[in-house]
Amino acid sequence: MKSKIFYIVILLFVTNLNFLFSQEKKFFEFEKKEIQQGAITYKGKINFVKAQSFYLKEDWDSTLVYSMKQLNNNNHKVMSDYCHYFRGVSFFHKKLYKEAQKEFFLVSEKFVLTPIKNFTLGASFLESKQFQRALFYFRLSEKQFIKLNEDNYLADIYTGIGSSYIYLKQLDEAEDYLLKNLSLTAKTQNNDRICSSYINLANLYYEQYKDNLAIPYFKKAYDLSKKIKNYNKKEIASRNMAIVEENRGNFKEALVYRKESEQWKDSLNNQNKIWAVADFEKKFAVAQKQKQIKVLEVENKLKNTQRNTLFFSSIGLLLILTGGVYLYAQKVKNGKTILRQKNKLDELNATKDQLFSIVSHDLRSSVNALKNSNSKLSATLETKNYDELNHLIIQNSSIANGTYSLLDNLLHWALLQTKQLYFNKESIHLYSVIQQIEYNYKPLLLEKSITFENSVSKNIFLFVDLDSLKIVFRNLLDNAIKFSNENGQITFSANEPDSDFCQVIIQDTGIGMNENTIKELLYEGELLAKKGNSEIIGTGLGLQLCKQMIKKNSGTFEIESELNKGTKMILTFPKTK
Amino acid sequence: MDNINVLIIEDTLEQSDELVKVLEKNNYNVAGVAVNYTEALKLFYEKPVDIIIIDVFLDGKPDGITFAESINIIPHASKPFVFLTSSQDRQVFERAKLTRPFSFLMKPFNELEILYALEMAVEKFYEQTNVFFSEEQNTVISNDSLFIKKKNSLKKVSLEDILYIEVEERYCNIITEKEKFVILISLTKISDLLDKNKFIKTHRNTIVNTDKIEEIILADNLIILKGNHKINLSDTYKDFIKKMNILS
Repeated sequence: MKSKIFYIVILLFVTNLNFLFSQEKKFFEFEKKEIQQGAITYKGKINFVKAQSFYLKEDWDSTLVYSMKQLNNNNHKVMSDYCHYFRGVSFFHKKLYKEAQKEFFLVSEKFVLTPIKNFTLGASFLESKQFQRALFYFRLSEKQFIKLNEDNYLADIYTGIGSSYIYLKQLDEAEDYLLKNLSLTAKTQNNDRICSSYINLANLYYEQYKDNLAIPYFKKAYDLSKKIKNYNKKEIASRNMAIVEENRGNFKEALVYRKESEQWKDSLNNQNKIWAVADFEKKFAVAQKQKQIKVLEVENKLKNTQRNTLFFSSIGLLLILTGGVYLYAQKVKNGKTILRQKNKLDELNATKDQLFSIVSHDLRSSVNALKNSNSKLSATLETKNYDELNHLIIQNSSIANGTYSLLDNLLHWALLQTKQLYFNKESIHLYSVIQQIEYNYKPLLLEKSITFENSVSKNIFLFVDLDSLKIVFRNLLDNAIKFSNENGQITFSANEPDSDFCQVIIQDTGIGMNENTIKELLYEGELLAKKGNSEIIGTGLGLQLCKQMIKKNSGTFEIESELNKGTKMILTFPKTK
Repeated sequence: MDNINVLIIEDTLEQSDELVKVLEKNNYNVAGVAVNYTEALKLFYEKPVDIIIIDVFLDGKPDGITFAESINIIPHASKPFVFLTSSQDRQVFERAKLTRPFSFLMKPFNELEILYALEMAVEKFYEQTNVFFSEEQNTVISNDSLFIKKKNSLKKVSLEDILYIEVEERYCNIITEKEKFVILISLTKISDLLDKNKFIKTHRNTIVNTDKIEEIILADNLIILKGNHKINLSDTYKDFIKKMNILS
């Protein structure tokens, strides 16, 4: 007998939980509609909207948080009713029944969901074993729901009331309400719920030892349980049958039922196991995927490394190529430089050769002439022919003069070639310089009876290097005298065509020269002009030097000549500013 | 008007003799001939010297440049100088060039070249270039003298000797205690170059050496200078009297 009661209590407890579960699983239309209505009404209140949406999602913790926020912010009556309600339900589901009750008490009576509130309040009192109060609120809720005509809630309420009565041992009333519940659930066609009602009713009867009333219900519950999928219900129904058959002494059948019950239990376990296996498989799959991801990652890494290697090696190759091209270009450049230098060297070498030829020929012959003249001089001295003596001395001096100017030219030319010549431009008085040059040639001019005229203005100042200017004038005057006939005339004159330059013209009335000679003389190059007439023309060194000196003084040089009429050397030099 | 004193620093007797001959022929006064550096310094400080002719190489060493460098270091002691050289060696020139103002004469040289070089040296030294060879001016003014070109030669007049200067167009009459002569220089130039505290305009065309003033007779607008020269004082230029320390 003891074991029987024990089972029943267990069963009731199970069914109670069951009924609460059903509450937890889904909201009936009525409540949902009201709450959504509230959300629409208070659209702007973010906390409230959040609280209600979490509530509908059954996220109790978040609902608690946001409803609390809303309560702190706002004292609006309806909204705070909603919030307290949300909080109460949340606490209830979190099994904090005292807190739930406190929240529910804060909800005002006018609140639209008061029936549900009262029902939940009752359930919470039932859970906390305060059956009288539970009964009170269930009853309250019952009245309100009858008004609203919500059968779904009523069925639950009747179960609640019935359960309360069972606990209060008022079994008649309990029977009454459980029957009401049965009649309501029968309407819903929900086998699950009907089955629960049968079990509850059967248990009630069975505890009152009204076995003949109880057993049919057990049987009905058992039969119905076959149609539903809830393993838990199936197990309970078959176990109840097993207990019933056991108590009746039909052990064989009891065993069958028990086995069936065990089977359902196993199924339940199996289901759990399947879930666990599924879970495990899922985990395994996840692990597998993880592995795959890792493999992919490694592959990716490998690819990256490969790509990087390729990239760097191509860069390296490019660098090597650039370097190669650069080196090649450098080599070509060097080759060019070497070629240029070779050409330059060849030219210089030719110049040197020419220098040697001048030294060996002209200088040698000049000095030789001097030597011969000297021996003639001493021979003449013995004969005491003074006229001849004088003539020879004059000849000697002219040879010495010519040799000296040749040497001087050679020296300057060499200095110019080796870039050793000192060069310093300054303001030069043209007239004075021409006078100074003429001073040295006075004897020569006198000898040839050449008239010299310096018609340069005394107000011209050139900006040139004094020494190179003197070399130029000396050479040109020397030439002019050399190529002039007796009684000729040499004139230095100057023009000022513009404010920057001055034109110096050296004009003689000498033998002149043809176009070719002029061209040859003006030929640009390091090499000296070739000798035409070795007797008169000389080395060409003097004119070459002149050209270079004039160029260095940023001047120009032109020759105008007519055979047997005379030559005009036109030079331009920058003036002092 | 005095002759110019030239100091010759030259170790070759032939060359120095030639130089002396040419200079004396052209009315220059040879202050002395030094053959080495020490002698040159001695003569430079003992004798009155206006221009120096320096041979770059003395006894094979470039002591000539050293001498020029030495006299250049002492402020206000330096005089115009001309380098003589037979070498166109660039290194020697680069060193010589540092002794600014630098003028040189290449050997061998003739008379005209020497004279030209001397005149150039004076022009460059007193920073009044293109004077002696132009037709507008013939006088360079130093801090104590006038260097005047007379024919081929240079002459010198000490500023202290000048009593007053009379300007006539492009010419200036210089009146000293002993003589009177004409130089070619414009009034603006001469008044720019003379010491303005010493030489003062007393008339539109008269500049007076204040050191030579004996008496100023304001009533007659007359200044009496040493040697009883009487100068007119124009009202426009009377202000200078205020600057003078008048004994009362």
